[in-house]
Amino acid sequence: MILRYDGTFAGFLTAVALARERSAEPEAITDREPEQQGLFAAVEEVETDRDRAGELYQLIRRTLPAGAVQTLRYAFHAGEPGREILLFRYLQLGLTTGPRFGAMLAHEAVIPVWKLARAVGREAHRYKGLVRFRQLEGDVWYAAMEPDHRILPLIAPHFAARFADQRWIIHDRRRNEAVAFDPARREWADIPLEVTGPLPLSAGEELFRDLWQRYFDRLSIAERHNPKLQRQNLPLKHRRHLPEFERE
Amino acid sequence: MPELSLAEKLEILADGAKYDVSCASSGSSRRNKGGIGNAAQCGICHSWTADGRCVSLLKILLTNACIYDCAYCVNRRSNDTRRVLLTPAEVAELTIGFYRRNAIEGLFLSTGVVKDPDHTMELLIEATSILREEHRFNGYIHVKVVPGADLLLVDRLGRLADRVSVNMELPSRESLQLLAPDKSREAIVAPMKRVGELIVQTKEERKVSRKIPPFAPAGQSTQLIIGASGESDLQIVSLAAGLYGRLSMKRVYYSAFIPVNTDTRLPSVVGTPPLVREHRLYQADWLMRYYGFAAGELLDEEHPNLDLSLDPKAGWALRNLHLFPVEVNRAPLELLLRVPGIGVRSAQRIVGARRGGHLSLDDLALLGVVMKRARYFVTARGRFGADMTPDAAGLQARLTERTTPRPRWSQPSLFDGANAIDIRSTITGEL
Ligand code: SF4
Repeated sequence: MILRYDGTFAGFLTAVALARERSAEPEAITDREPEQQGLFAAVEEVETDRDRAGELYQLIRRTLPAGAVQTLRYAFHAGEPGREILLFRYLQLGLTTGPRFGAMLAHEAVIPVWKLARAVGREAHRYKGLVRFRQLEGDVWYAAMEPDHRILPLIAPHFAARFADQRWIIHDRRRNEAVAFDPARREWADIPLEVTGPLPLSAGEELFRDLWQRYFDRLSIAERHNPKLQRQNLPLKHRRHLPEFERE
Repeated sequence: MPELSLAEKLEILADGAKYDVSCASSGSSRRNKGGIGNAAQCGICHSWTADGRCVSLLKILLTNACIYDCAYCVNRRSNDTRRVLLTPAEVAELTIGFYRRNAIEGLFLSTGVVKDPDHTMELLIEATSILREEHRFNGYIHVKVVPGADLLLVDRLGRLADRVSVNMELPSRESLQLLAPDKSREAIVAPMKRVGELIVQTKEERKVSRKIPPFAPAGQSTQLIIGASGESDLQIVSLAAGLYGRLSMKRVYYSAFIPVNTDTRLPSVVGTPPLVREHRLYQADWLMRYYGFAAGELLDEEHPNLDLSLDPKAGWALRNLHLFPVEVNRAPLELLLRVPGIGVRSAQRIVGARRGGHLSLDDLALLGVVMKRARYFVTARGRFGADMTPDAAGLQARLTERTTPRPRWSQPSLFDGANAIDIRSTITGEL
């Protein structure tokens, strides 16, 4: 049995609920097109059922310790294909073990999920600093990023609290997804977004870009020059949308 | 003289502030109430400079003009440099501009002393209150207190800022008199004491009424220059222990002395700031704050200086081999914390995980223990995982860090190779 869902957390939970009802472990749970034609026949489309997903989620929250639920939510946002089946096994174990589950960190069904969650959590935390806004015409603040994991929903609350009086968009350019925040209603929404041309910058943007670059260059201390350490702390892949590393 | 542009002023004043090492923005959780910004409880880094340090705050001087003449300082009166001054409004404008772009966590404002300490403090207060009141900025603000300023001004500044700091710079009265003759020990300690008192007192008052504005909710910190004067590590570490204990100091920062002036009162070092010593001091400091070590356990009159080739926790373990190996399934948390290779988080994970069943040596690595070091000091289910019984001489050789010390600290290869753990700790002092 291969279950295909729509990529949402509710869709995933629906698939899990379905598998649990049949007391079977699926070969895969996925939101992608199957790669081999032959497999296509075996794929079962799961239609997201919010009530069912909600029920299962309540059961999870009642049974698993809070930390384990958090781990589940973070690991779900990992970019790795195949994560769903790991999450499925993790959930099965958690639902049969109950509160003791929190102490089973060394279990083989727990470790991979915990590692995924940690990777996602780290990336989400890291991007709280690396999301860099530019002011566009019309006073919209736009930020582009290309994270490994689907962290937009995890970081949106942070930016909503911090930039509550700004109209902002954070754009995951790898996935063509974005969150847009409306300060009047204090709400954010997920939107599909693709940028093709150059963005219309506000009048003051160039000045601040220049100020920041100059400031950044002055900060480092020649006697302590250590580009290797800099690369360890800030790998090249994270520099792509940072103005201090974008120079002609 | 032509008026300097904002960009030119920024460059000059960033240059003057960059030697200040404290960069942490953590420990304050200011909420955003309808304006812009908040302070995150755990620090957020926004970039890293070419020397590998994290950038989290706009670290800048209000002015590099100074009436004093401290031997070690670029901004001292007798240096022939271009003096510039930002207006408080300009400081606020820069801070907000960078903050809205999410380039920084907040502001770290320091300054030379213009006219007199009180006047300078008033300018700092003005910059801070423009940010808080006009821009409704709730992000992190760290401001330097000017030694010798009226204590009432210290009170006002502390109600606006998240953190305040009075830099001690020199670890003893004698060095201070020699190298910073315009600043007295009293002028430094009095505001520190005042800040310490107000932090404690305000915390109590806020338990009763939340309406009372917090006072320096992220605490106070100070900085010590290492290697410009002759104090031993024992003196420095004991001083730090006293500051943590008596003045509710949050952090003491250590800054390897970098010569920027030629001055006969300063040691003649040739381009080699004592970075390894600085690193060891951060480690020792970390051991006192998070691992329950007392200053006297790390150093004593016979060993007044930290071993540069060995991290201080390993050094302590080698002097106390009779306590090892410890059985990880039984040892109390306090003892686990003293095992080289076991950090705070892995110690806590061990305590949590062993409730679910007995741990084996293999489990330890999964819980984040650095077995390369820890294996000489632990057993799991009675098993010992090293190929030798712990004896001081043999272990010393194995635990000595290959990458230290090097003749030239500024070489990029200082932190390379097998020492991945220590690379992180260079930034935080974490072991
Ligand atoms: S008072 Fe501060 S700015 Fe002035 S010379 Fe001394 S250290 Fe430098």
